[in-house]
Amino acid sequence: MKIPWNIFFHLLLSLLVPLALTLVAWFFRDILIPSNVLLIYLLGVFFVAIQFGLFSSVLASLISAAAFAFFFAPPIFSLKIADFDNLMGLVIMLIVGTVTSKLTENLRVKSKLIENKERKASALYGLSKALAESRSEKEIIHVAVHHIYAEFKSLNTFLFPDRQRLVHYPDESPLNISLQTVDLNVANWVFQHGQMAGKDTDNLPNESCVYIPLNCSLGTIGVLAMNPIELIEEQQQFLETFVTQIIHALERAKLAEQAKEATLKMQTEALRNSLLSSISHDLRTPLATIIGAATTLETDAERLTENNRKKLANAIAEEAQRISDLTTKILEMAKLETGEVVLNKEWYAPEEIIGSALRCLDKKLKYRQINLHIAQDLALIHVDAVLLQQVIVNLLDNADKYSPVEQPIDIFVEPNTSNLTISIADRGLGISENLLEKIFDKFFQIHTESAQSGVGLGLSICRAIVEAHGGEIHALLREGGGLEMKFNLPVLEKPPVMDLEENGLTL
Amino acid sequence: MKNTSPLLLVVEDDPQFRSLLTTTLENQNYSVVAMSTGRDGLVEVRSQRPNLLILDLGLPDIDGQTLICRLRTWTDLPIIVLSARNQESDITLALDNGADDYLTKPFNTAELLSRIRALLRRTAKLPNAIQEIFQVDNLKVDLTKRQVFVAEKEIHLTPIEFNLLSILVRNAGFVVTHRQLLEKIWGASYVEHSHYLRIYMRQLRQKLEIDCARPRYLLTEAGIGYRLYDGEN
Repeated sequence: MKIPWNIFFHLLLSLLVPLALTLVAWFFRDILIPSNVLLIYLLGVFFVAIQFGLFSSVLASLISAAAFAFFFAPPIFSLKIADFDNLMGLVIMLIVGTVTSKLTENLRVKSKLIENKERKASALYGLSKALAESRSEKEIIHVAVHHIYAEFKSLNTFLFPDRQRLVHYPDESPLNISLQTVDLNVANWVFQHGQMAGKDTDNLPNESCVYIPLNCSLGTIGVLAMNPIELIEEQQQFLETFVTQIIHALERAKLAEQAKEATLKMQTEALRNSLLSSISHDLRTPLATIIGAATTLETDAERLTENNRKKLANAIAEEAQRISDLTTKILEMAKLETGEVVLNKEWYAPEEIIGSALRCLDKKLKYRQINLHIAQDLALIHVDAVLLQQVIVNLLDNADKYSPVEQPIDIFVEPNTSNLTISIADRGLGISENLLEKIFDKFFQIHTESAQSGVGLGLSICRAIVEAHGGEIHALLREGGGLEMKFNLPVLEKPPVMDLEENGLTL
Repeated sequence: MKNTSPLLLVVEDDPQFRSLLTTTLENQNYSVVAMSTGRDGLVEVRSQRPNLLILDLGLPDIDGQTLICRLRTWTDLPIIVLSARNQESDITLALDNGADDYLTKPFNTAELLSRIRALLRRTAKLPNAIQEIFQVDNLKVDLTKRQVFVAEKEIHLTPIEFNLLSILVRNAGFVVTHRQLLEKIWGASYVEHSHYLRIYMRQLRQKLEIDCARPRYLLTEAGIGYRLYDGEN
């Protein structure tokens, strides 16, 4: 409906322009000679040619010729032209008008083409810029759906395969411009065969949508489904370019993902290696002592003095204890890492857990002064007592290991509005500030190969346990020297209420 | 002195560990029968009537827990269970099923011997259970008169506090699980309400202990239960 109106409008203007010029020239007819008037008409023809194309301009030049003959070339008010010069002028105007119209028309078509190309280039540029800025497959699809809709005015959606290699709609909720009337059977056929299908294609032309496979070096990675559009060949090519860009972006995202996985795998591998070397060192050293002492006892028992026999037996017991502690830690870490640990949370009194941790280290801390700073009647906390006790034991054990025995260890338990803070502070040498976070890394040891060293898992276990409880643990340098290990446990729920006995009721 | 030494039955599937236990126990003048499977263990309990059973929880044929349950249907034979570390839930279950004490592997043989002595002593006491006065260090509990003294000073306890303390006194030196305490004091429907126990234990400690965070008498076995110190280590 639009196009005839357009033409009608163009034709009307091609009539009006020469008529308007006639009016103007008529007004100045006393000062203009007829050949000048012809030039004015020529100007009008050019204008029409530029604006409305060849057909309109030819029409305009014919009307101009007629108007010239009628109004300006003597005899006036007659189509006759008496003067030969005027007749020649008119003929030349017609020829020049037609030729320039033709030339302008060519220019017009060319400039239209350029304009079109430019628009496409800018659309492509917009797409590739947005794609380059997308970080994930999800973002890429988001960008792609929007740009395809903006460019081709077609609802569309991207379908990707699941583990069973069947394509399905994206997991996230559809956009308002997402196509939601896809035949998944057709989409799967397209995905498996890597060929286009749907309306106006060679496969299933009766379908209502068009299905385009996303083919790249990794094979067919998905399917683009869209509402069909009237595509002239040029548009078709443009759509292909568009889709190719999107495919490349998707391919890039997939490759990046794979690279990330590979890096992660490498890191896990490196971790495993450091675990193995650490374990083999820390297990072999005590084992050497155990085997050595045991074989001596086995073969030379009668030649050993009572005292030396005791020494050897003692060495075996101590080294075996070391191996035992080590294996416990490794197993615990492994359990925490694999997420196998289910917190067995119950309500506990904080001071009770501190107490049982202290009892575990009874022998070790025999000569150590421990100062407890625990508020009275602390609210019960909902925790896994065994794991929490482990945290406190590990921290106390470290404090004991790395501070001189005559220095006291302080334990603070402070309730806050939303959490309970527990800290264990020593007066040892502390550590350099840049190691405060590093000491929580797995297998991190300050003094490697020293007799004191464990496997470097104690603090990582602490962190894993505290984090499993939703808390945080940090190391701080203490004012006046020493290290303070501070962790908090969020108080998420209030202890359940209970009916207590009446206090007056005593025995 | 009795002329026959107590008979101990060891049920443990690892041959090295079994032989270690046998040697250690025989060295202490106990008679020892060692078995490697739960089935053989059950047979020996019936035929030999041992004075005490040392049972490894991880047996190849019968689950240790099942074995304890079966034994408890007809005998009060004292049972010490051995379990791998970090398996508090297994230990608790074994105790709830009727085991008397536990040790986690690896353990020190001195520890095992002291547990065995304590258990045998308790069994020997049972017939003349008139010993109603318990005393350790400064703590004195008179179960008949329902009186509690710390350093000769009488302490007033609420009925529940006394109830809690008396259960621990009757099992002095042995761990009593959370579940057992909750069930005996508040009833079977309260076994999940562990916070009751915590609050009363705190009150009891505040009355009996010098430092609640470092209890001397009322000891916590994390994740398992409570044990009243009985003077033995």
